[in-house]
Amino acid sequence: MYHSKSTKYKALLFIAPFLACFLIFWLAPVLYGIWISLNDYKLSMGNLGFVGLENYKTIFDTGSVYHTQFMNALKNTFVFMAISVPPLVLISLGLALLIDNLPSKLKVFFRTIFFLSYAISVTAVSAIFLWLFNANGGFVNNLLMTMNITNSPVNWLTEQPYAWFVVLISTVWWTIGFNMLLFVNALDEVDGALYEAADLDGANSFKKFLYVTLPEIRNVAFFVIITTVIASFNLYGQTMLITNGGPARSTTSLIMNINHTVFSGNQLGIGSAMAIVMGVIMTVVTGLQYWANLKINSDGPKRKRKGRSKKSEDPALVNAPLPYQVDGKETMKK
Amino acid sequence: MRAKKIKTIILVAVASILAVMFIMPLVWMIFTSFKTLGESMSSSALLPKNWTLINYINIFNGTSDAKMILWSLNTALVTALGTTLVIFVDVLAAYALARLNVAGKKLFLGIVVIALTIPGIVTLFPAFYLFRNFGLIDTYAPLILPYSAGTLGVFLIYNFLRSFPRELEEAAYIDGASQWQVLFKVIFPTIRPVVTTLGVITFLAIYNDYLWPSLVINSNEMKTLTLGVATLIQGSNFVNPGAMMASTVIATVPALLIFIWANKYFVKGVTNSGIK
Repeated sequence: MYHSKSTKYKALLFIAPFLACFLIFWLAPVLYGIWISLNDYKLSMGNLGFVGLENYKTIFDTGSVYHTQFMNALKNTFVFMAISVPPLVLISLGLALLIDNLPSKLKVFFRTIFFLSYAISVTAVSAIFLWLFNANGGFVNNLLMTMNITNSPVNWLTEQPYAWFVVLISTVWWTIGFNMLLFVNALDEVDGALYEAADLDGANSFKKFLYVTLPEIRNVAFFVIITTVIASFNLYGQTMLITNGGPARSTTSLIMNINHTVFSGNQLGIGSAMAIVMGVIMTVVTGLQYWANLKINSDGPKRKRKGRSKKSEDPALVNAPLPYQVDGKETMKK
Repeated sequence: MRAKKIKTIILVAVASILAVMFIMPLVWMIFTSFKTLGESMSSSALLPKNWTLINYINIFNGTSDAKMILWSLNTALVTALGTTLVIFVDVLAAYALARLNVAGKKLFLGIVVIALTIPGIVTLFPAFYLFRNFGLIDTYAPLILPYSAGTLGVFLIYNFLRSFPRELEEAAYIDGASQWQVLFKVIFPTIRPVVTTLGVITFLAIYNDYLWPSLVINSNEMKTLTLGVATLIQGSNFVNPGAMMASTVIATVPALLIFIWANKYFVKGVTNSGIK
């Protein structure tokens, strides 16, 4: 009755509202962005003509200022990735293991505490850490000076490596709860019988973690690493608001640089080309991680279990944009 | 047994210390908002020596450039409409894909999957330029509409429905229920948990979004709380930590309360959103 031919097209009506939104706010911008990147587009004057791949050449022309800025931002983003991904993955796993071993009544309480900062916007996080670490009148400097650890204020925000440290610590505080939650839920699902079997074999805690827990949460760990890498590509709010890209543009991220190119530089065409190059780099890095994961899967000991764990390898699911990929954390969350 | 008890006590102690460290920035934010300018600049103590409401009073009597009331109203409007829109279009689409025989279903699912893999940065600036071309900068439209293009919700609900048996719906059809009746009376109660999850995720995403609103909103009157706080950081509030923290408290508390309330839906839902 609801499978006849006429209902087949009637069913399209249910999809129509979403399809309209998707076409207007996703597909149209994607195609328009590609078109803009092939033209000499100025933000103030509009399209000054088709230039083919000229904007892309500019980005890769070593004599061009846009090249210098783009490569600097790319380097900074990779620096951030290198310093932020390991703690965001390892500390969150540590917290999850801690919570997993607590009595179940306390589990919920501590899980909520560690996940709390997830509900806070990047601008509020920045406001807090800006005033914790501000050189003049910041709480940390006041504290350090009262305790006579230092005589003069530390320039947390305007000197390296302090600036990266503040960006890192604010990011860890802001986003670690999300990774932790994914690990907590994964640990929840590990079959208790596996631990009992390991106990019978006389395994200690470390061995149990290595041979029982780790293989069981492998797919979730992979998912956490991928989303954390993607999120660190999208670094924006923290460096925009806490360090303003400084000192000497050393914390200017890729998105900050595109923003600067479009708005301060009036170069919408070049900025759009940069965004597409950035998108391609992100896709390649994500693809490489998949490849590495598949390779480890096929080379490593065959621990993969059938059924439940298979589901999580659906690439579409692993790539699902997470809520925190929408600002700063998308762009690092969010 | 005794060794196990000691182990538990140690673990709880460690967790408690970490928890205190974790909420310290929030505690500091709240206490600093009750400090005077002089004290907030020089204080090395958590608690204020002289409690003051001056930072909050200045916000609400209009002497500060923090338009917190206006920004709160904007945020309420934008998050309510944006979240409703996302749920509406996603539920209809996911229902059709999971239950009805839709023309071009495979193609559609393919597009949804591809869209999930393309980084958001690619759409950001062209979308801004499109809204500008249509004269919609500094309006509510760009703050509400674009979130509806996300495919995550369709995915979530589609997967949920696919794993749910159809018997109830078929029984309802046999009893002579119409498609809309089935949708509202049978499907909707079924998918409520996943819709709640999607609602909270979407609400927080819109509430906390900074980059996109910063592109499409220029006027102070149209800002959301999150964008407003960014302006305060870059503006005159920068010289007064107490005033800054008062604004941040006001901007943060609504999201925190909703988050704590929705925590139980969220905790499982987040996992479902990506992994399962």
